[in-house]
Amino acid sequence: MIFSELYSAYYNTVAAIISRILDGERNEKELQKIVTERAFGESGLTILPSLNTEKWQLVHSDMTTPLEHTPTMPLTTLQKRWLKAISLDPRVRLFGVTFPDLEDVEPLFTPEDYYVYDKYADGDPFEDEEYIRQFRVILEAIRDGSQIKFEMVNRKGNTMFIRCRPVRLEYSEKDDKFRLVTAGWRAVSTVNLAKIQKCVHYTGEKPSFGHEKEPTYDTVTVRLRDERNALERFMLHFAHFEKQAEKLGKDLYLVRIRYVHDDAPEMVIRILSFGPLVEVIGSEEFRGLVIDKLKKQKNIGLK
Amino acid sequence: MSAYNELIKNFERIRSYMRDFYVYGFKSRDGYQSKSARSYDDERRRMESWLGDHMSFVRTPEGKNVFISIDSRTIPHNPLYNAWKAKSFTDGDITLHFILFDILHDPAVRRALPEILSEIDGKYLAGFESPLMFDESTVRKKLKEYCEAGILTAEKEGRKVYYRRADSTDVSSLTDVLHYYSEVAPCGVIGSFILDKAVTDTDSFTFKHHYITGAIDSGVLAALFTAMREKRAVTVTNMSRRKDLPRRSRIIPLRILISAQNGRQHLFAYLPDFNSFNSYRVDYLSNVKPEDPTPRFDELRAELDRMQSKMWGVSVKRNKWGNEHLEHVEFTIRVEEGEDYIVKRLYREKRVGTVEKLDEHTYRFYADVYDSSEMIPWIRTFICRIIKMNFSNRTQENKFKQDLNEMYRMYGLDGEVKP
Repeated sequence: MIFSELYSAYYNTVAAIISRILDGERNEKELQKIVTERAFGESGLTILPSLNTEKWQLVHSDMTTPLEHTPTMPLTTLQKRWLKAISLDPRVRLFGVTFPDLEDVEPLFTPEDYYVYDKYADGDPFEDEEYIRQFRVILEAIRDGSQIKFEMVNRKGNTMFIRCRPVRLEYSEKDDKFRLVTAGWRAVSTVNLAKIQKCVHYTGEKPSFGHEKEPTYDTVTVRLRDERNALERFMLHFAHFEKQAEKLGKDLYLVRIRYVHDDAPEMVIRILSFGPLVEVIGSEEFRGLVIDKLKKQKNIGLK
Repeated sequence: MSAYNELIKNFERIRSYMRDFYVYGFKSRDGYQSKSARSYDDERRRMESWLGDHMSFVRTPEGKNVFISIDSRTIPHNPLYNAWKAKSFTDGDITLHFILFDILHDPAVRRALPEILSEIDGKYLAGFESPLMFDESTVRKKLKEYCEAGILTAEKEGRKVYYRRADSTDVSSLTDVLHYYSEVAPCGVIGSFILDKAVTDTDSFTFKHHYITGAIDSGVLAALFTAMREKRAVTVTNMSRRKDLPRRSRIIPLRILISAQNGRQHLFAYLPDFNSFNSYRVDYLSNVKPEDPTPRFDELRAELDRMQSKMWGVSVKRNKWGNEHLEHVEFTIRVEEGEDYIVKRLYREKRVGTVEKLDEHTYRFYADVYDSSEMIPWIRTFICRIIKMNFSNRTQENKFKQDLNEMYRMYGLDGEVKP
């Protein structure tokens, strides 16, 4: 059962508090910090007071505990079943790790039990040995904060030699690709992992300057007519963005979506996919992009 | 009337609120007519407590609209998982939990129930002013529950039962694996539970096009996966948007169909009473009850494998006598010089269809699918390049063209348009 107190933020927080008390911590402010870090916004009103007042009889009023061991809990069968399930995923080889012995554990699911039917067919070669090697070099450098160097061929067909500090890996399930987000590389900040070649740790002494580039955001505003269940489809489709919706009248809604400027072409076609039920009303520039496509379509004719 | 508590006993109620707040977000307090005002206030307050800054509000003439707004590209972990970590418990539950694991602190330690009871009272609770009282049946029940969860084991020796902590599982080398899969794998919240126990944290991964809504359906999903692993039928409640009242159905779950592009998850299942296949939105399902194992599971899944070569999305058209109806869809696009990326798009997005190069600038896509209406949104993404189309379902083709004309009108392009 997934919904269980065994996994609750309260149990985890109390475990962390008891550990600190066993380490000799008595200061309530320090213990309250654990609550702030590990539990919810209003948990401060409950957790320490429940311990202090002996409602939960784990800590005495002098902030000592009758417990003798740092609280830990073995993995539940459900957790092991999930671990076993992910150990069956082909992408797991990327990480080069050995899973604990789960031989007697039934997986919660196998790759046969689910299917992502609309991910793109040209995903990264997750089982390619060189791809795996580079992935590990990059992941290690992200953890260490160190630099890497690699080659890649740009759009014009020229080979570029790059030295940079990898910041994080961004994965898109739709594209089924990893992108590397970097710092200290003036030309580009993000590159598809599959385009990277000859990637190795940089062992030279040149320092890395700069931070990850902050993306520029734009907002698109649309008017939506709720027919054919369009509202629900639209709001779910764009659920992963920061957005705000407003009811204008019967079956009429206004939705504002904040997106990264570079993703405008993708946003245009995603909005076009909703046909006449969604009209772009701002920005003018975005509306212009939609109109351009429709103009071209009208001129090209359709039989 | 009980006092407000940020923890909850039942997940199902909060599930619908979270969905409304996250997916829609334009409803004011009065918009939740089917729910009481007090319930609305409590659930809203809970979500504010769990989600913090991810909750926003706006004032409108109708009142204050509260909504969850998250750019999932900017966060390494799904904040909606917090709801799964808010299960309520009693004072006795939490006290007993920590004491039991302190007694059974190592797999080498084993204790029978009388010994455990004696240690609880004598060693752990004696120092408190008004010690909690745990009777034998309460502790036995808790031990049984923990054995079922797999965190304790019970060994019978003669008439005595000894309890031990289950062996630990070393996950220290799996930190990156857990960070990644807790976001991309089904039921990722379980990975998040494992991470919660770990000390280390990392921001090595973020996620684009990342639908986090499915998190709130993890309970239903886990129950369906379990049924599939055990090849069982289930009874589920389905709250279809087309019907007012929820309906209980007995079905054989066959596969979860996930969309990476529209945020929806469907269960594809067989309905034995009607000899038909159907797909159900997972977010509309609840109360999954396992039934008996079915000998037909493998045969039905093989049938689904076959049908998937004709499915664009989640629809099938097959009657109870096994007769299928397929629809032919065909369209041709024109690509200009330097638009190779459009051709690449066709190939990578064609799914069960076929792409044929007609000449340097013209490509034809065709497919035979159960339901051509599922393809319409995708075909619209090629607007500005479509030169020809041919649907065997004329109604769909005409609808596509009518919609296009309506879009021209909507954007003021209904007259002559200059290139």
